[in-house]
Amino acid sequence: MADRTEKQAAAQQAVDILHEISTLLNCHLDRRTLSICISMIENGVNPEALAEVVKELRKEGQNVQLEAAAAAGASRRR
Amino acid sequence: MSHAPRNRISNAIDSLITHLVPSNPHDTEQAAQERHDACFELVRAIFERPNSPSISADVNHASDLIKRKLIQSNPSQALRFSNLYTRLLSLPVLNQKWAILYLLYQLSDSPDPNEPPPPPRQSAAPHGLTSREPSFRDRELQAQLLREQEEHEAEEESYQEPAPTEPSFREPTPREPSFRESVAQRATGRAVGRSTATAESKTPTPAPPPVSEEEAVNNVFAPGGLKKLPTERPRRNTTTDEARSQPGAVDGSTKKSTRDVSIKSTLLADNSLEFEPSEMGLLRDLPFTLQGLSSTTLPFTKDTVLKLPPTLPLPIVSLLHTLAEPSLLYRGLANFVKSPAKGLLGQSLRAAINNELRSYLTLVATLEAQIRRALSSLDEAAPRGGIGKAGVTLKRCVVWTREATMGLRLMSLISEESYSKQGGQLISLIHGFSTSHGDPVVAAFAERLLADVTRPFYDILRRWIYDGELSDPHLEFFVREQNPNNEKQNESKAKGQASVWNSKYEVVDAMVPSIMTPDFAQKVFLIGKSLNFIRHSCGDSQWVDAYSKTSSKELKYGDTATLEKWIDDAYKTTMQRLMMLMNTRFRLFDHLQALKNYILLGQGDFIALLMESLAANLDRPAGAQYRHTLTAQLEHAIRGSNAQYDSDEVLRRLDARMLQLSHGDIGWDCFTLEYKIDAPVDVVVTEWGNRQYLKVFNFLWRIKRVEFALASTWRKCMTGARGVLQSNDETVLQTWKSTRGTLAEMIHFVGQLQYYILFEVIESSWGELQKNIRKEDCTLDDLITAHTKYLTSITHKGLLGARRRQHHDAQKEAASLGRDTSEVEDRNSYMVQLSLLLRNMLDYRDSVDGLYSWSVSDFTRRQEVDTASLLRKHRPNSGDMENSVGPDDPFFSGGAGSNIKSEFPALQERLKQLGVSFRQRLQILLGDLAYQPDVDMRFLGVSMNFNDVYQPVRRKSAKTGTTTAAAAGGNVSSQQGQEKQQQQQQQQGQGGNVNVSFSASRA
Repeated sequence: MADRTEKQAAAQQAVDILHEISTLLNCHLDRRTLSICISMIENGVNPEALAEVVKELRKEGQNVQLEAAAAAGASRRR
Repeated sequence: MSHAPRNRISNAIDSLITHLVPSNPHDTEQAAQERHDACFELVRAIFERPNSPSISADVNHASDLIKRKLIQSNPSQALRFSNLYTRLLSLPVLNQKWAILYLLYQLSDSPDPNEPPPPPRQSAAPHGLTSREPSFRDRELQAQLLREQEEHEAEEESYQEPAPTEPSFREPTPREPSFRESVAQRATGRAVGRSTATAESKTPTPAPPPVSEEEAVNNVFAPGGLKKLPTERPRRNTTTDEARSQPGAVDGSTKKSTRDVSIKSTLLADNSLEFEPSEMGLLRDLPFTLQGLSSTTLPFTKDTVLKLPPTLPLPIVSLLHTLAEPSLLYRGLANFVKSPAKGLLGQSLRAAINNELRSYLTLVATLEAQIRRALSSLDEAAPRGGIGKAGVTLKRCVVWTREATMGLRLMSLISEESYSKQGGQLISLIHGFSTSHGDPVVAAFAERLLADVTRPFYDILRRWIYDGELSDPHLEFFVREQNPNNEKQNESKAKGQASVWNSKYEVVDAMVPSIMTPDFAQKVFLIGKSLNFIRHSCGDSQWVDAYSKTSSKELKYGDTATLEKWIDDAYKTTMQRLMMLMNTRFRLFDHLQALKNYILLGQGDFIALLMESLAANLDRPAGAQYRHTLTAQLEHAIRGSNAQYDSDEVLRRLDARMLQLSHGDIGWDCFTLEYKIDAPVDVVVTEWGNRQYLKVFNFLWRIKRVEFALASTWRKCMTGARGVLQSNDETVLQTWKSTRGTLAEMIHFVGQLQYYILFEVIESSWGELQKNIRKEDCTLDDLITAHTKYLTSITHKGLLGARRRQHHDAQKEAASLGRDTSEVEDRNSYMVQLSLLLRNMLDYRDSVDGLYSWSVSDFTRRQEVDTASLLRKHRPNSGDMENSVGPDDPFFSGGAGSNIKSEFPALQERLKQLGVSFRQRLQILLGDLAYQPDVDMRFLGVSMNFNDVYQPVRRKSAKTGTTTAAAAGGNVSSQQGQEKQQQQQQQQGQGGNVNVSFSASRA
């Protein structure tokens, strides 16, 4: 039990550090995204591909936002 | 991947998508689900792609990349990063640290997804390309553009190919900037759009395989309208480009540098300063300046001064300074070329320089064409008049004229030096540049110049070695005719060594060009001299003409080996011809043989006969000698001996004559044989040589005469001993016995001396001479040297020229007393001793003759007493005896016989004295000979004293006395009659001296 909590603390620490690094590098990653990425990489995902994925998804997110805004605008005008 | 991680990854993707892609509140449930699925598919597709090979699983690599990036943007953050990094490393939980770091690195500086996307119009890119995210179509367009650029590049390269000699003529075309931009874009495009392709190096066409996939992706993600980029795109492009390009090291850096240059040039163009006159104006005038002509902007105020406009900024002034150098040098050289030359080589130098100047002008003309073209294509509106794009600038002109300037510099150096030099020195100067200059360009240039400059030199050389004529009106060749006022030559002329051969031409060492070695120059000199000699002195100009026609060759600078071979050939031919002429036509060897036979008494029978027939004649005073009698006797001797078989050519030259007579000389002293030598053989047997021959002849003749006299007296005594000389008187018999002993000694001495001179000296030297002159490659010079050596060794070894150092001081003293010229005595100290000995022997012989006549008269008296007292008593007159006439003189016994008794003791005494003095002198001579450095001369002493009869005396204290006596003896000469008494006294005195020294040395 103690072992597990220790591990969690260490993981927490790692995420802290990496988050700091990511802010240094202007990565615009929040802690949650970062945790997911870490776990994916720990599971053997190619980091380069993952970076691509993150970028694509962000784009997609923006698109959705735009659409939402457009839809909202349209609905407001309507 | 195993099943569990796969599930986990799927879960993670799900959560990632929901986290990153917010759901649209306006969308329906189904649409949201579709979008989610689409995203999931996309993510899967991306993950499924093959890994990029450029990523290495190395923690340090990723961290390095990050660190480098941070240092560039913000060093303090880099420090913070390294702290964080060490902490991260110490954590045990993560297995794929590098991968996480790499992910962060990839995502660095990515746009904030939470910011609202910018409006489309704001994102106008500077490149004139569409500003949207590069989609596939964009990339295709770029690829096409790239292909075009590369084709263009290749074109440009092939265009540059034909003009490699002027490398600086390559100019950036106006299109180049766009090329550079496109390169930059290509990098950007790859970096942003196609992350997997970044590691591929400069492939000419974008790799197609991923395209289909990407197309699909893009199709999914590019629905309808074009997406706008965030405003900060250019910056992002730059940075990602840099970040991206770093893994593919070289490629990226070159791209970066080219872009830097383009940036710089734009900067330069923007910051350039306008000045008056403008660079265009200067360029327009530059060709004139380079040709040494004044122009409005750049006038030549003086020959060596170029005035620059004062309004120019400093960098331009320094450029113009550099350009002024060739202009001024050209001006100077053009003046030099126009100036009148001193000699042929000066003219050829000017011609060679003129040629070089012409090629320089060609360069200037090309330059001018370039400038014209550039100026006409100038765009007036562009910054700096667009000169940076036209490709011709002042700086470029400096580069283009650089090599030419080197050449001009060298030529002007040569031209300045050439004023103080001429002929061979000039060649040496240029040759010095070509061989010992470290710069290969300079050396090659000088070599080229040399080929032209040496032409007249080789013409002269050709005339000289093939015709034997010196056609050198400006005294430029290293052979020249001797100056008649030359001191050295006069000196040698005074010595009688001058001849046509060695005093007509001379080598001037300073003028021998360094392209020839001294040996070679000497050979050339000999060839020409020989040809000249053959033509003018030997009268064989036909051969010379024929020779020059057949073997004359064009000599040129460059092929030294061939030249040397030709000259060697010429040398051999000429020398052979000359020796052949000397041998056959001029019978040089016959003459040498004849000289040895007659002058050096080699022909014994002839000399004996001559002496016999002349003896009676020569006993008379010198005044009573007549040339016709001498010639007749000579003829008789020739006819009566083997000499008659000699050729007419030789005999014709043989002549007997009298030397200049002085008072009191008898015939023996001034008789001489002569062998006449005429040109051209007199180059070998020079006047000096003739004098040496005569000297040796006179000496030998004197020895021969003494030998002859002694022999005749000996004969008389021997025959007399059987009859008239028989006596009962014990003292008389005793006297005769000792007299015969001394006579025998003298004969032995003379015999040894003759043997030594004739065999040890003359014959051995002759052998040496023969060996030297019969050599295969003997030249006339060798012959002359050999002959001179021959004569020197004869005069030296034959005691005639031996120098006695100890004696030297005494000689000096004698000279200061004014007794004799020191030179003669100094040189002939043995000569003096020997002549004293010979004189002593002659005196002795006279006394013996006196004794003989006394004995004869005594015999007659006794007979008279014995037979009858009728006859009157005969007494020999003392005056008769003093006449010293020959023994067969009928008058000697004609005197009164009353003084017979009183006469004998005096004779006895005198014979004793002469005998003793002969001994003393001989011992001194032997003493001197024993300490001779020359082995042959020491051996003479040994053979004279083979049984140690004599005790050689090392003369020390007595040298002054002897010298005085010698000088006195020499002065007294062979005076007869009244002076004999005086001489006798002197000799007594001298004998005393010698006695003293003898006893002293014994003690």
